[in-house]
Amino acid sequence: MEGNTLLLLLIVFTLSFLVGSLIYLIGGKISAKSKEKKSEKNIPYACGEKPPPIKEVRINLERFFIFAVYFLIFDVFAFIIAISSSAPWHLPTIYSLVVLMAVFTFLISRRHV
Amino acid sequence: MLQETLTLLFQLLIFPGAAFLILLAFISEWVDRKVVARIQSRFGPLYTGPSGVLQPIADFLKLLSKEDITPDGVEKPIFTISPIIYFSLSLTALFLIPILSETALVNFEGDLIFLIFISTLITITVFLAGYSSASSFSIIGSIRSALQMLGYEIPLSLAFIGPALAAGTLSLSGIVKWQISHGIWTVFLQPLGFGVILICFLAELEFVPFDIPEAETEIVAGWRTEFSGRKLALLKLGRDLELLLASALTTSLYLGGAQPVSFVPPALTFLIKIFFVVFLFSLFRALFARFRIDQMISGMWKHLIPLAILQILLIILNVGR
Repeated sequence: MEGNTLLLLLIVFTLSFLVGSLIYLIGGKISAKSKEKKSEKNIPYACGEKPPPIKEVRINLERFFIFAVYFLIFDVFAFIIAISSSAPWHLPTIYSLVVLMAVFTFLISRRHV
Repeated sequence: MLQETLTLLFQLLIFPGAAFLILLAFISEWVDRKVVARIQSRFGPLYTGPSGVLQPIADFLKLLSKEDITPDGVEKPIFTISPIIYFSLSLTALFLIPILSETALVNFEGDLIFLIFISTLITITVFLAGYSSASSFSIIGSIRSALQMLGYEIPLSLAFIGPALAAGTLSLSGIVKWQISHGIWTVFLQPLGFGVILICFLAELEFVPFDIPEAETEIVAGWRTEFSGRKLALLKLGRDLELLLASALTTSLYLGGAQPVSFVPPALTFLIKIFFVVFLFSLFRALFARFRIDQMISGMWKHLIPLAILQILLIILNVGR
C-alpha cells in the first residue's frame, strides 16, 4: 500500500508537469510570431536606461546555495524538535548531534567559496 | 482492472483532478479580484460571463495568444522551464488535499512534511525564475522573495505542526478525520496558530502587505518583469493555484476541511470554506499598505515566531485540547 501511494505521487507530479507542458505547447501553436529576428524588443527591460552588464547584476549562486542549505538544516531541525516532544529523550539528542555535525562540515567547506 | 484504471484516470484528470482544480483556481481569482474591487468602490470584472466570472479565463487565453519574447542574456533552460515547474508544483500539492471526502486522492503518513517541502520549493522556483532573467528588476525581485522566505518559513511550518500535534498524526487526511470525529475545528483550540498561518500565507502568496518581491511602484513587476506570452500565462495560472492551495490548506488544517453537515455533501462545505478563506485574504489585501523588506523580516522574527512557539508550548502543556 505504501509503495502504491508513492507511485501515485510520482504519477501525479508527472501528470501536472505534462499538463503544464501541454498548455505551453498550445500557447506556442496559437501565439503571434514576430517577423524580424533581431529587434529592440529583445533587450532586457531597463526603463529607458542602458541596462547594466549582467555580470554586475547577478548574484553568486554558490554562496546563495550554502546559505540555503544552512537554512534548510535549521528549518528541518525546528520541525523535528517540535514534533518529538513525546518521543524518548535520546532521539532528539541524536538528531541535534547530527545537525551540529552538518553545520560544522559546512563551516569547514565554506572556506573555498 | 481496466475499470479501476479508467476511474483513476478520470479522477486524476477531470473530477477532483486537474481540470476541476484549474477551474476552481480561476474562480478563486475572480472572487479575490471582485472582493478587492468592491472594497475599493470599483466594480472589478464585469462583462465576461455573469458578473465577470469568466474574466480570469479570458485573460489566460489572451496571454496564451500573445507573442512569447525571450530577451537577450537570459539563462534559457531555466527561463523556459521555471513557469512549467511553478505551475506543476502547485497542482501536485493540490492532489494531497482532501476535497471530495475526508480522505485525499493521494494520502500517506507524513504528507504534511511533503507539503511544507513543496511550499518552500515554490519560492525557490520563483527565485530561479527571477535569477535566470537578465533584467536588474527581476534579479532584485527574486533576491527579495528569497529574503522574505527566511522570514515566514519557520512560523509557517510551526503553524503546520500545531494541528498535527493536537491530532497526533502527520497526515492531512488524518487531521481532517480527527476534527470531524471530535466535532470541533482546530481554530477554536489554537486561534494563535490560525492567525500565524494566515499572515504567513499572505507573505507566501506575495499579497499586499508583503508584496515586496513584485512591488510595482518600485521594481516594475519584480521577478516576472521579463516573462511574456505563454510563460506569463503559466505563471499567472500557477499564482491562482497557489492561492487555492493556501486557502485549501488553511481550511483543512484549521477549519474542519471537507466535513459532511447533515444533507450537504462534504465537497460543498469545503468549497464554501475555501471561498471564505479567499475572502479573508482579499480583505487583508485591500486593507493594508506595503511594508518595507527590513520591517517585514524583523517583524516576522520578533513577533510572529514567538507567537508560533507560544502556540506549540500551549499545545504541549495541554491547554485547549
